[in-house]
Amino acid sequence: MPVKTVVGGRPVVHFLLLVAALAGLLLLVGVFDAAFAQASPFGAPRGQVPAVPVGGVLGWIFAKQAEFYRQFSGLIRASKADGNAAWSLFGLSFFYGIFHAAGPGHGKAVISSYLVANEETWRRGVVLSFASALIQALVAIVVVGVAAALLNATAATMNNAVNVIETVSYALIIVIGLRLLWVKGRAFFAALRMLHRPAAVGAAVTPPDQLHAHTSHDHHAHDQHEDDHDHHHPDANSHSHDGHAHCECHDHSSAWGHAHAPEPEELAGPGGWRRGFSAVVAVGARPCSGAIIVLVFALAQGLFWAGVVSTLVMGLGTAITVAATATIAVGAKSWAARFAETRSGYGMLAMRGIEVGAAAVIIAFGTLLLAGYLVTERMVGI
Amino acid sequence: MVHRQLFSIAVALGGLVIACGGACAHPHVWVTMHSELVYASDGSITGVHHAWTFDDMFSVFATQGIESKKKGEFTREELAPLAEVNVTSLKEYDFFTYAKANGKQLEFNDPPAGYYLEFDPKDTVLTLHFTLPLKKPVKAKLLTVEVYDREFFIDFSFAEKNPAKLVGAPAPCKLSVLNPDQMDASLAQQLAQLGANQRDSNLTIGSQYANKIVVKCP
Repeated sequence: MPVKTVVGGRPVVHFLLLVAALAGLLLLVGVFDAAFAQASPFGAPRGQVPAVPVGGVLGWIFAKQAEFYRQFSGLIRASKADGNAAWSLFGLSFFYGIFHAAGPGHGKAVISSYLVANEETWRRGVVLSFASALIQALVAIVVVGVAAALLNATAATMNNAVNVIETVSYALIIVIGLRLLWVKGRAFFAALRMLHRPAAVGAAVTPPDQLHAHTSHDHHAHDQHEDDHDHHHPDANSHSHDGHAHCECHDHSSAWGHAHAPEPEELAGPGGWRRGFSAVVAVGARPCSGAIIVLVFALAQGLFWAGVVSTLVMGLGTAITVAATATIAVGAKSWAARFAETRSGYGMLAMRGIEVGAAAVIIAFGTLLLAGYLVTERMVGI
Repeated sequence: MVHRQLFSIAVALGGLVIACGGACAHPHVWVTMHSELVYASDGSITGVHHAWTFDDMFSVFATQGIESKKKGEFTREELAPLAEVNVTSLKEYDFFTYAKANGKQLEFNDPPAGYYLEFDPKDTVLTLHFTLPLKKPVKAKLLTVEVYDREFFIDFSFAEKNPAKLVGAPAPCKLSVLNPDQMDASLAQQLAQLGANQRDSNLTIGSQYANKIVVKCP
């Protein structure tokens, strides 16, 4: 089959791509981990050379957000007397949100990885980004509103509340990652199995109405399946039946081998939003320290409402950055998917591999965050 | 080639997902420092006294919910519990203070009692006063004290006026204070003064981003 030989070059490239991408990710995670382990104040040798501030774009973003942040107090004070200052405050909050979200935290990484692992569309990515930013702003407002405004609690009490929320949020991130790893890991191994059974590739797809008959493994179903070979559905992705164990026990069932991967539709479709919501909550639950400080400061100035609006606008800015990152992530993924679609062999394997990698990244993030190696924000108790 | 593009996108994606570690953390606490180096009568340095003033937003946040007799003002006594929390938690971070005598790292004991917080009601800022005694007082020809947060959650900088002072130091000792911004210019100047093959062991490139007190005693 000369055609196949030509196409046959692709799987190798895809496989290399997969390996390279995963290796790159793992390497980055490793570097990341090491950097943070070193940065940890515990057991760090004294007098080490300080971390050199990043130059270039990141350095600029970093300098900008600090610059914006420092203007909050002046503008909040000014807003007391001057209504125009309040507008400047909201404008500042917006830009601060955009720049601040480029820094650590704000779930950019987790949301992007989640979308990549989950075959999400960019539209859903944008919605999830905005939802998580909104939740983050609301949590900050509720924490300060209840603890400081109503109960007159101390900063330490608020820090403790944030720490509890943080721990729960990180644990949730790990749970989401583990769930994805389980689902996508199975899909990956299904794709791997399929490679060793070339006959199964591109084999017939059972019509949905035959779905229930399969569990019985009767010959009728088998025959029916043989008939279906003629139809030869090209998109191996579109059918919805779940992995049945019968593929392990009968030779003829190898024809359904590819069916054992949970398909994208299972994850998107109805119910997908509910899962998306759990990711949004996990990521958005931890309020940003900057917002809390701004809210408390506004409260002390007798302008709590200005702090609330400022926090919401900040969330809007944050959402834009997170959504942009998520869109790039999803775009890259769907680009990769276009190549993979042409083949259900190595291409599929590569896609599932990327998804498994993304799930692993989520778990790594959650674990590092929970273990305290990766600190997105810190209050130091002063 | 398409695959190469694809690969670079995958790498860029990975980078985006992971990038921006601690290096692009941004501080929520700004500290303006006044520091004093305290000397014994025999000319050895015994410790560092810091007065750290926190920025107004953080100061207001830190004093939130603390009871005071007079609204908007806090006495040292009212702030005593907070001062204790501060000093205790700063221990974990070595008080962000790193000193070297003749290039050798010095160790500090924990601050003795006597540390306190002061509240300035006009600017609504808190100032933490505390002393870091050296484990072993030393005499040094070259002494450096650096203050920085490696993770950059706290932005330290010296006050513009009277950033540092020598207390009871031998007369010939000279004090200079270097800020991260000024460091580049002064470093460049120092480097320019060096001959091509000359080395200045006093010059430690790499720590030019820290706030640094340098004392030279001939």
